[in-house]
Amino acid sequence: MDFRSLFTRKSKTSDIATQRLKLVLTQDRFDINEESMKKLQFELTQVLAKYFQFTMNSVSMSLKLDGNSYVLMADIPCGRINPEQ
Amino acid sequence: MGKVIVITSGKGGVGKTTSTANIGTALALIGKTVAIIDADVGLRNLDVVMGLESRVVFTSMDVIDKRCELEKALVKDRRVEDLMLLAASQRNRKDDIKPEQMKDICERLKEEYEYVLVDSPAGIEQGFHNAAAGADEAIIITTPDVSAIRDADRIIGLLQNQGIDGINLILNRLSPTLVRKGNMISKNDVLDILNIDLLGIVPEDTGVIASTNRGVPLVHNEGSPGADAYMRIARRITGQNIPIPEMREDNFFSQIINWFSRKN
Repeated sequence: MDFRSLFTRKSKTSDIATQRLKLVLTQDRFDINEESMKKLQFELTQVLAKYFQFTMNSVSMSLKLDGNSYVLMADIPCGRINPEQ
Repeated sequence: MGKVIVITSGKGGVGKTTSTANIGTALALIGKTVAIIDADVGLRNLDVVMGLESRVVFTSMDVIDKRCELEKALVKDRRVEDLMLLAASQRNRKDDIKPEQMKDICERLKEEYEYVLVDSPAGIEQGFHNAAAGADEAIIITTPDVSAIRDADRIIGLLQNQGIDGINLILNRLSPTLVRKGNMISKNDVLDILNIDLLGIVPEDTGVIASTNRGVPLVHNEGSPGADAYMRIARRITGQNIPIPEMREDNFFSQIINWFSRKN
């Protein structure tokens, strides 16, 4: 038995459970399928195309886990602003 | 016009059927008219938990297939007035019933009864969708562990998607001692994670096993911690403002008192 373990308090298993649960639920709640993701990307760029000029296949979008929440990252290289805006 | 409440959990074995039997019985004990539907087609159990297995003649399948009238298929409880059970067919499968058929039964029952409780099967498949089809409100049962809470979250998402507003939580089998020792997720953490309203907490009560053995719902055993918790839950369902007490640990003296007051 490790002598030091007598003095360091073990972390509570309930805290471990809560942390694991929070992470797993974040993943579950944002379990978006590829098709919906493509649809979202298409619809989003439709709106953006009214304002900016850009090529559709230069757009990249992804969901990234940042700490305890998901962040939607969109990389859209923009050209000019559309003149009518 | 009554209210249809689906009792569900996602995960199996967290106490759906026990809770349905007890809430239904508790509502009837405080004078409400109650019909309980077992929606677990193929794996029915509510009849045995309520001690009515010998009285079941017809099932919801017989009503749907028009082999018998709805009123005739309802089984009267042995102990309490105005408590009825509509049993599930044991021969059929969950996808033999369609959501619209279940909804129709719920609609008809809520014209006659103040509360219609639907005991949902575990899972998120057809059986769950059938059970939730006619629901006005939902009660989610969970135990304070990672798997049950994860599944509860999934179910809450599906119910919200269906447009059900009143979704309340019952936290089942909470052990205050384990929470204090840091070995069980606390009430506040569960509520924080699931973000829905708490309807009640049912403490771990070994009396449940004896009550299921006998086929007499726990609420008949007045004074046991589980029975009291279900009675409070029933009163809250009827709109009474009953605060949720903090769970107390069993100490030496309370155990002695319990020992003497036990009726068994």
